Amino acid sequence: MEPFNRRAFIKGSAASFAGAASVLAGLGSGNAFASDTSGYKALVCIFFFGGLDHADTVFPLDQIEFDQLAAARNGLFGAYSGDPLFARTRSNILELNVQNAAAFGGRTFGLAPGMNELQALFDQGELAIIGNVGPLIEPTDRNSFENQTVDLPARLFSHNDQQSTWMALDVEGAQLGWGGRFADAVISSDTTANPLFTAITTAGNQVYLAGEVARQFAAGSVGGALDLTITSLEFILGPGQRGIDQRAAVEAFYAQDNFGNPSIMARDYARISSTGIGNVRGFNQATSNIVPFTTEFPSTPLGNQLKTVAETIESRNVFNASRQIFFVGLGGFDTHSAQSFELPQRQVQISAAINAFRNAMVERNLWQDVTVFTASDFGRALIDNGDGTDHGWGGHHFVAGGSVNGGQIFGDIPQPDASLSQYTPLSGRLIPTTSVEQYAATLGAWFGLNSDELLNALPNLTRFPNQTIGFV
Amino acid sequence: MAMINELKTFRPHGILIAVALSLAACSEGGTSEAIAPTPEQPPTAVPPAAPPPPPAPPTPPPPPVVVGTTTLLETPEQVSRFLIQASLGEGMQTINDMVGVDATDWVEQQFALPRTEFLQPLLNRQEAGDPLTGFPHSAQFWQALFDSDDVLRQRMVFALSQILVVSDLVSGNERPLEIAFYQDLLSQNAFGNYRDLLEEITYTPAMARYLTYLQNRRGDPVTGRMPDENYARELLQLFTIGLVELNMDGTPVDSVDGQIELFDNTDITGLARVFTGLGFSGGATIFQSFAEDRFHTPLIFFEEEHSELEKAFLGTVIPAGTPGAESITLALDTIFAHPNVAPFVSRQLIQRFTLSDPPPDYVERVATAFETGRFTAPNGTVFGRTGRGDLEATLAAILLDPLARTDPAQLPDTLAKVREPVLKFVQFIRAFPFEGVRADDEFQLFETSRGEDGLAQHPFRSPSVFNFFRPGFVSPGTEAGAAGLTAPEFQIVTEGNTLGYVNFLTGFVLDSFSGGPNNNLFEPDFSAEIALAGNPEALVERLDLILTGGRMTDIERAMIAEAVEALPIILEDQDPLQRVEVAILLTLSTPSFATIR
Repeated sequence: MEPFNRRAFIKGSAASFAGAASVLAGLGSGNAFASDTSGYKALVCIFFFGGLDHADTVFPLDQIEFDQLAAARNGLFGAYSGDPLFARTRSNILELNVQNAAAFGGRTFGLAPGMNELQALFDQGELAIIGNVGPLIEPTDRNSFENQTVDLPARLFSHNDQQSTWMALDVEGAQLGWGGRFADAVISSDTTANPLFTAITTAGNQVYLAGEVARQFAAGSVGGALDLTITSLEFILGPGQRGIDQRAAVEAFYAQDNFGNPSIMARDYARISSTGIGNVRGFNQATSNIVPFTTEFPSTPLGNQLKTVAETIESRNVFNASRQIFFVGLGGFDTHSAQSFELPQRQVQISAAINAFRNAMVERNLWQDVTVFTASDFGRALIDNGDGTDHGWGGHHFVAGGSVNGGQIFGDIPQPDASLSQYTPLSGRLIPTTSVEQYAATLGAWFGLNSDELLNALPNLTRFPNQTIGFV
Repeated sequence: MAMINELKTFRPHGILIAVALSLAACSEGGTSEAIAPTPEQPPTAVPPAAPPPPPAPPTPPPPPVVVGTTTLLETPEQVSRFLIQASLGEGMQTINDMVGVDATDWVEQQFALPRTEFLQPLLNRQEAGDPLTGFPHSAQFWQALFDSDDVLRQRMVFALSQILVVSDLVSGNERPLEIAFYQDLLSQNAFGNYRDLLEEITYTPAMARYLTYLQNRRGDPVTGRMPDENYARELLQLFTIGLVELNMDGTPVDSVDGQIELFDNTDITGLARVFTGLGFSGGATIFQSFAEDRFHTPLIFFEEEHSELEKAFLGTVIPAGTPGAESITLALDTIFAHPNVAPFVSRQLIQRFTLSDPPPDYVERVATAFETGRFTAPNGTVFGRTGRGDLEATLAAILLDPLARTDPAQLPDTLAKVREPVLKFVQFIRAFPFEGVRADDEFQLFETSRGEDGLAQHPFRSPSVFNFFRPGFVSPGTEAGAAGLTAPEFQIVTEGNTLGYVNFLTGFVLDSFSGGPNNNLFEPDFSAEIALAGNPEALVERLDLILTGGRMTDIERAMIAEAVEALPIILEDQDPLQRVEVAILLTLSTPSFATIR
C-alpha cells in the first residue's frame, strides 16, 4: 500500500482551528524548537477511568505497614476475605524485587494478586512504579494545602475535572492536552511525518491528544475492517445486478467536507464526517495488511485496544510516522462499592493486556522504542467506606518499556497511616509528591522533546526542583 | 390525529396575568429582565443558615437575536422544525395537519396527555411467566420512543435520563424492573417539580445501586470506616448545583481569584452522612431483604445504620441525632435552595432540546421560569403550577422562547444543537409511516452504545454517571471549539463513529441490505416517496422538509439529487425504492440533519 500522501494530511489537519498557522509560523522562526525525531518512538497512555485505588494495587509488605493498611481498610479487607485468590493477605501479595530498595530504607513492596505478569516485568527490569503522582501547581504539603498558601489545582476530587487535569493540566473544557502538545512538537520537527496518525485514540475523543496542529485520530476499539456498508457491498450499488456501477456519486457525497452550511457545528460535522470516513477506511486498510502478530492478545477491552495500538505501530511506515502517541482507556475504577469484586478482575486484565502488548513489541523488535504509562483521575482515600473507597488525589502508576529503568520505584510510597503528613487528615487522601508535569516531562524528554518544548507543553514545570525524574 | 384538529380551535382559558412577553422590548435590545417579568417576589431561595454571596452583576449579554413574536406555526417548515426540537419526529401527515397550530397549545396539550407506563407492563409480563431475562426494559423504552403519543414527555424522560443518570450496565437479575421503576419516576415527574424528582430518585434502588449508597453504613469510630461519598458528591456536582458559583444566566461568577468553588471535601464528608442507613424495603436489617418487590419499591431507612453525627455542608448543619428521612428532606431543601440550581439545570435542559451552546440571555429566561415556577407564553398562556423548580414552566420556556422560535435563517452561525444519535435514529423511524416495529425483535437495538457499529449512545446505558457526553464539552480541533462553544454531543462524534452511524442507519434504511421485506422486521412505508422517485429534486425537497425542517443547503440537495439521478431505473419493482432509500440515507448523513436549529 502506498504511504499516505501530504494531501491527506492537509485535509485532515484543516479541521484544526486553534491558531494552527500562527503556531507553525512560530515554530519556524527560530531554532528553539527541534525535537529529536530520529528512528521511531511511541508513547502509550493507559487511562484508568474512575480513579484507580493505588493502595489496593501497590502494597507495602513489611508486617507493620501491612497491618496499618489492614487496619485502615478493615471493611474492605473483610469483603475480600472470602476469596482465596484475591484475599488481601500478606502471603497473597506478589512481592517485588525492588532494585533501589535502599532508597526506601529497605522497605518491601508487592503487587495485587492477579498482576503476575507485571510482577515479572518489574523483576525483569522492564516496568517501573512511580509512587504518589498527581496534579500539582507547585510543591505542596499538608500545611500548605490546609492553609491554602500554595496554588492548588482547581476542582480536586471531581472525576471529570481531574481527568482533564491529568490530560490537559486544566479542568473540563481545556483544549490542549500535553499529549497533543508533544505531538505538535514532533510534527513541527519532522515535516515528513503524517500528523493525522501521530495522535491516536482507541477510547474516543480525549483532550489528552488535542494539539494545536495535531488532531487525534479515533480508531475503533475493537479493530476489524470498517468501511461504508453502502458502497463496500457489491450487491447494493455495485455493477453486478444492473451492469452499472452506481457508487461514484454516493462516494462523492461521503467525501464532501463542505456543504456550505450556515452553522458552525454543521460545518464541523461535515469535516469530521468526511475526513473520518475517509481516514478510517485508509487506516483499517493499512492495519489489516500487516503480518499478524503471533502473540495472542486477550480479548478484553484493554487487550483489544492494545492490539489496535500494536497493529498501528506495525503500520507506521504506511503512515510515515516517526513519533506516535496513543491513548487507550479502561473504565470501572470508581470503586466506591464492591471494590473486592470490581478491582481484581481489572487488575488481571491490565496485567495480561500490558504483557501481551509487550510480547508483540518484542516480537517485532520494537519494545525499546515504546513506553507505556498509566494515568487515572486520582488515587483513592486510604480509609475505606465499608466495601469500597472514595475519591483521593495522588496515586501510584506504572511505566513499562524496553527503555524504562525498570525494577525500581520512583517518587514516594508513603506508609499507610492517614495521620502522616503526606495525607489529608481523616480520610487519608495522598497529597502528591511528584506532579503530573514531572511525570510527563520525563516521558517527553525520552520521546525527543527538547527542554524548551517541554516547558511550552508543561507550564508549571519550572516550579519544581527536578523537572524530570529519570524513570526512562 | 384527532388531537391536532382540537388544537387548532383550542383557546387557552388560563390567561391570568397581563404580562405577555414584550417581544418588542426584547428586539430593541432589552435585557432578559425585560422579557421575564414576574408579578410577585420569587420565593426566598436560601434559608438564613446558608446565605449565598450576592451574585455579581452579570456581564451584559450581546443584544439577543429575536424576531419571533408569536409561537404560531404558520408553515410546514416551521412545524417540522418545532417537532424536531420538541418531539420524537413526525411524518408528513402530522406536519401538514399542524400548520396553523400554536406551538404553545401543542405544548399544553402534550402536558395533559396520558403517560406511557414502564413498570406495570413488565410486571404483567412477569406475572404471565416471562422471566424478563436480558434487557426487556430497554426494548420497551425504544418502543415508547417509536410509537408513544406522549412524545414531549418521552423527550423529557430521555433528557432527564442524561442528567440524573443511572445505567442498566449495573449487573443484577432484577435490573429490568429496577430501571423501569426509575423510568416511571422520571416520567411521572417530567412535568412536575425538580425538587420532588430529586427526593424520589434518592430512594430508588436504581440510583442507590448506581451511586453505591445502598446499604451504606454510618461511620465507625473504632475501625475508622467512613460513609460512602459517591452520591453526596454527584448529587451536588451533577444533579443540582455544579462546582462553581453561577450567575442566573449560567455563566460562572468571576471573582478576583477566578471562579468561586462551591464546596470542598469537608462538605462532601458531611453530606455523605445523610445517605447512610438506606436499604431494601421489607428487610429486618440493612443487609437483609428478600421481598420480591424490593427492586421496584422505594428504599427504607434502618436507623441503626444511619449516622447519628451532625451533618455539616454548604454552610448548613443538620443537628446530631436527626433521623434519616428527615435528614434527606433537610439536605435536599438546603441544596435545592441554592441559587445555582435554576441556571445549572436549565442550561442542561436547553442543551437536550434546542441549542448545544445556549446564549446567556436564553439561559436566564429559562432559569427565571425555573426559579419563579412560571412562564407566560406570548399568547398569554401561563405555565407552572408547582412553584420553584416547576418543570412545565421550564420546558415551556425552553420550547417557546423567542430564540427557539426565530427563523433559523436569521440565527447567528454559533447557534445550533448537535442532534444526539438516539434522536437522529428515532426521528428517522417516526418520519415515515410504519406498522408493527417491535423493538425487542430488532437485534441491532439490543446494544447501540458502541460507536464503530452503533449509535455511540443507548438510552439508560451510560458508561458512567457523567453520561455519554458532558454539558461542558468543548470539542478540541473544531471551529466550534475555537469559538469556545460547548457542544456536548461532539464528544461522541469521532471519525470512526461517523462511519459507524452511517452503517447502522444503512441496516434500517436499505431494504435491499436485509434482502427484502420478509427479512426486514422494520418496514417503513416509503410509498409517498417512491411516487417521487422519478423526480429527484422533488424527492429531496420532501425529505428535507420532513427530516430537517427545510434547512438543507443547496449543495446538500444537489449532491443527493445527483446520487439519486445516478441510479438507473431498470428493475421497476426494485429501483424506485432503491432511489428512495439512498436519498433517505444520504439525507440522514447530512450536516443539516446532524444539527437542530
